[in-house]
Amino acid sequence: MYRRGLLAVLALAGIATFGAGTASAQDKTIKIGGLFPMSGPGAYFGAQDKQGIELALEELNKTGVNGYKFAIQYEDSACSPLPASQAAKRLLDQYKPDVIIGEECSDATLAIMPIVAEAKVPLINAGSSSIRITDPGNPYTFRIMPNEVMQGVDIATQAYNKLNARTAVLLNETTNAGIGNAKVFKETFEKLGGKVVAEIGFGRDVNDFTAIATRVAGAGKVDVIPTYTLEGQGLKITQALSQAGVVKGGGGGAIQLGTIWLPFGFEQKAGKAAEGYVRIVQFDPTDQRDMVKNFVKNFKAKFNADPTHINAHAYDQILLIADAVKRGAKDAQSIRDTLAATKDFKGVTGSVEFDKSNQNIKMDTIHYMETKPDLSWNALKWN
Amino acid sequence: MTATIVAQQAINGIVLGSLYVLVALGLTLIYGVLVQINFAHADFVTLGAFAAYFFIHLLGGNYLTSIAVALVVGAILGWAINLTIFAPLRHKGSELLPLIATIGVSTMMQNAMLAWFGPIPYAFETPYSQQVFRVAGMFFTAQSLIIIAVSAATIALLYAFMKFTFLGKALRAVAQDRETAGLMGINPSYLIMLTIVLSSALAGMAGAMLAPVLVLTPFAGTTVIVKAFAIVIIGGFGNVEGTILAGLLVGLIESFTTQYFDPGLIDIFVFALLLLMLAFRPTGLISERREENV
Amino acid sequence: MSEAAAAAAEYRSSHRRWAFLAAALIIAVLPYVLTGSYWHTNLTVCAINVLLALGLDFILGYAGQLNLGQSAFYGLGAYVSTLLITKFGFPFWGAFVAGVAFAGLSGVFLALFAVRLRGHYLAIASLGFAVIVHQILLNWISLTQGPLGIYAIPPPPAIALPGLPVISFRNPVALFYLIAGFALLVYFLLDQLVRSPIGETLTAIREDEISASSLGINATAWKVFAFGVGAAVGGAAGCFYAPFVGTLVPDAFFITESFTILSMVIVGGMGTLIGPVFGAILLTLLPELLRDIGDLRLVVYGVALTLVVLFMPGGLVQAWKLIRAKITGAPAASP
Repeated sequence: MYRRGLLAVLALAGIATFGAGTASAQDKTIKIGGLFPMSGPGAYFGAQDKQGIELALEELNKTGVNGYKFAIQYEDSACSPLPASQAAKRLLDQYKPDVIIGEECSDATLAIMPIVAEAKVPLINAGSSSIRITDPGNPYTFRIMPNEVMQGVDIATQAYNKLNARTAVLLNETTNAGIGNAKVFKETFEKLGGKVVAEIGFGRDVNDFTAIATRVAGAGKVDVIPTYTLEGQGLKITQALSQAGVVKGGGGGAIQLGTIWLPFGFEQKAGKAAEGYVRIVQFDPTDQRDMVKNFVKNFKAKFNADPTHINAHAYDQILLIADAVKRGAKDAQSIRDTLAATKDFKGVTGSVEFDKSNQNIKMDTIHYMETKPDLSWNALKWN
Repeated sequence: MTATIVAQQAINGIVLGSLYVLVALGLTLIYGVLVQINFAHADFVTLGAFAAYFFIHLLGGNYLTSIAVALVVGAILGWAINLTIFAPLRHKGSELLPLIATIGVSTMMQNAMLAWFGPIPYAFETPYSQQVFRVAGMFFTAQSLIIIAVSAATIALLYAFMKFTFLGKALRAVAQDRETAGLMGINPSYLIMLTIVLSSALAGMAGAMLAPVLVLTPFAGTTVIVKAFAIVIIGGFGNVEGTILAGLLVGLIESFTTQYFDPGLIDIFVFALLLLMLAFRPTGLISERREENV
Repeated sequence: MSEAAAAAAEYRSSHRRWAFLAAALIIAVLPYVLTGSYWHTNLTVCAINVLLALGLDFILGYAGQLNLGQSAFYGLGAYVSTLLITKFGFPFWGAFVAGVAFAGLSGVFLALFAVRLRGHYLAIASLGFAVIVHQILLNWISLTQGPLGIYAIPPPPAIALPGLPVISFRNPVALFYLIAGFALLVYFLLDQLVRSPIGETLTAIREDEISASSLGINATAWKVFAFGVGAAVGGAAGCFYAPFVGTLVPDAFFITESFTILSMVIVGGMGTLIGPVFGAILLTLLPELLRDIGDLRLVVYGVALTLVVLFMPGGLVQAWKLIRAKITGAPAASP
C-alpha cells in the first residue's frame, strides 16, 4: 500500500522535474550539428575542429547572443562519402540541428551537401577546397575558406611575379583536392609563360619519398615545387627534397610552395629542410589584430598548444553562426538567409563575404608565409 | 647525369627493399612453419614503431636501443597472442579460422592504437636521418646506412640460425613435414610458439626501422603489408632466400617506377608481377619446397 | 527415397515456402518499424551487404575457395554500370545487367587463372587481383575519374505500372524494397542451386577435391562456375551501391572491404546460406549501435569477431543450433 503511494509521489516528482527541465532547455538554444572525421586517417581533423569549437562555445555561452545559447552535437563522418551520408542522416533525424558545420574532406562534403539541402539546413564548410562544392551553386552550402581556384591562381601568379619562378615541378596527392589544386596552378603558371617540367602524383599510402626527390633532382633547374599534400607526407617530402639537395634547406635552389593543410609547427618537425618554404596559410598567428591575439592567447591557455588553421576555422565557423544570430537569425531558414547576406564578417582567419554561390571571396583569408632559417615565419604581405 | 640517377634510384630501391624484407621475413617464417597467413603482422610492425617512439620520447632512450626495445615488445605481444588466440584455434583444424582470427586481432589492434595514440601523425626523427653524405653526385643518409647494416646483420643471423643451429633445423623440419618432425621428438607446439615470437620480434624491429620513413599513425603498417604479402609469394612462401631477393626486387621496382613512370603504377607493377609468378612459377623465385598441390 | 524421407522432404519444402513468405513480410514491414532516413539508410546498407556476403559464401562456403577479391567484383559492378549510364547513356537496367555480367566474367577470368592454386596461394592471388582492380579504378582517371569521384548518380528510373501509383526510387523506402527484394530473390535462386545436384557436386569438391576428380567430376569447371556466380552477385551489389550512395570513389572498394565481407560470412556461419544473411546484418548494425561508445566502438568490433572465431566458429548458425537444442532438449520448466 505504502509502496504505491510513494511510487506515485516519486513519479509526479519525476514528471515535474522532467517538465521543468525540458522547459528550460527549450528556451533559446541554437543547435549546431558537427560532421567531422573522428575515426580513420582523417581523424586528427576532427580532434582539432572540436578544440576550436569548444573554445568558441565557451566564450559565447558566457553571455549568449541575443538571448540565445549555443549547443553542439558531433557525428563521425570519417572523411568518406558513405559514413558521412549516414552520419548526416543520423544527425538530421535525431538531433535536428539549425545549422551544420563540416566536413573536412571534399569527397565527404560533396556527399552530404544534397542531404542537408533536402532537409533545408544550412551547411558551413571550412575545410574542403574542391571547386565543385560551391561552383554549381547550392543555396544551402557556404564555404568560408578560399577555394582551390582562388588559391591556385593567386599563388601561381605570386610565384611568377614575386619569386621570378619560370620552371615548376608539381607534387600532389591523388585526391580531389590534390589534383584540383595542381591543375589550377599548372594552368595559371603556363598561361603566364612558366613551364611545368614534371607532375608527380602519389597516393596517400606512399611513404618513402626518396625516389620522388631523386626524380625531381634529375629534372634540371627547378624554381618552385608546389606541393599539395597532408602534413604527414608533406614532412617526408620536404625532408627528402632536402636530402637530395633540391631545396634551399638542403643547399639547393628550389623553393617549395604549399597551401592549406600544413599547420604551424610543421617547421619544428621538418627541421632545417623547411627553410625557404613559402606557403599560403589560412590562419596567420602573427596577425596583429586584437581578435587574433586574444584567440591565440586563450587557445594556448586552454589547450597548452598553438592553434592550427583547423582550430581557427572551426572557431570562425561558430563565430559566424553567432554573428548571424546577432543579425536576427534564429532557425535553419533564417540562418541560411542571414548567412547569404554576410558582407563583412571578421574572423580570426580573415573576413567573410559570400558571393552568389555562397563562396567567401575575401582575399585576406589568403596569407603568405615564408620559413626563415630560424624556422619562424616571415609574413609576406602579398595580399 | 643519367648514370647518377640510375645509381641513386638503385640505392633508394635497395634501402627500401631491405625494409620490406624485414617485414616480409616474419610473414614467411610464420607461413613456412604454420602454413598460415597472419594479417595482424602489419599491426605488430606499427606497434613496434610506436614502442620505439615512446621509448625515445618518454623514457629518453636513444634510437639504436629503441630498435631492441621494439623487438622485445613485438616478441612479447606475439607470445601473448599465440597463447590466447592462435594456439586454441590450431586444435580446431580449420584452415580458415586462424586467418579470420588474425583479421579480428588486426582490427582490434589498429583501433586500440587509434584510441590510445590518436590519429595525429607522429614525427619520428632520429639524428641519423638529418646526416646526409654526398658522394659522386649521389646522396644517402646515415639512416639508410643503418637500415642496410641492421637488415643485413639480421638476415645473416637469421640465415645462420636456420641453417646451423638445432632449433633452426627443427623449425625447417616442422615446416617440411609436421607429423614426421613430431615423431622424431620435436615438440611442434613449442616450435610454433617460437616461430610466432621470432616473427613478431622481427616485425617489431622492422617497425622501429621503418618509423623514420613511415608516416607514423595507427594505420602505418597497412600501407606496407600488402606489398609484404606480394613479396612473400614472389619469393616463395616459407623461403628465406627467395623473400630477400623478392624484397629487394620490389624495392627496386618501386624506385624505378617512380623515376620513369608514376608512383601510382607501383602497386600495379608489383601485383602484376605477383600474378605472373602465380601463373608460371607459383613456388616462387627460388623453390626449395616441393608441394604436390600448390 | 523412402516414404518417410519423401514426407520429410515435403515437410521441409513447405516449411521453406512459409519461411520465404515470412521473410518477404518482414522486409515489407521493417521500414515502418524502424523509421527515419537514418534507419532506412542502415537497412539498405544491410541489404547490400547481404548480397555481398551471399556471393562470397557461395564461393567460399559451398565451393571451398578462399576468395579475398570480393571487393573487386563489387567495385567492377558499381563502376561499369555507372559509367555506362553516365558516359554512354545506357538505361539503368541495361547497365545493371552489363555490370553484373562484367563482374561475373571477371570472376570467371580470375578463377581460370588461379584455379590451379590451392588454399593460401588462391587467397593471395585473389587479393592481388583486388589490389590491381582498385589501383586501376584509382589511376585511370580519364575513364573512372579516379579519386575525383563520380557525383550525383541518379537512382533507378521510376516504375509506372498501369493502375498503380508511380514508384519513385528517390523514395528511400522504395529503394530499400528494391534492393532487399532483389537480395531475397538471389537467396531463393542460390537456395535452389544449392539443393540441386549442382550443390552436391560443389560440396563434393569442397570436401575432397582429389576424390571428386577421380569420380569424373571436372572440379576446375565447377570452381570457375562458382566464382562466376559469386562474383556476379557481388557485382549486383555494386550496381545498387552506386545509385544508393549517389557518389562513387575508388576507396569504397579498397581491399579491407573484402575482409569485412569475409567476416560477415564467417560470423554468420560459412557453408550455410542463412548464416551470412545474419552475419551481414549483425556486422552492419553493430558498429552503428555502438556509436555511442565513441572511440572504442571499432575495438569492440574486432573483439567480437575474434571471440566468435575462438568460441563459436560455426558462427551464428551454430549458436542458434545450440540454443535450439538446449530449448528442445531441456526438461519442462518449473513455474
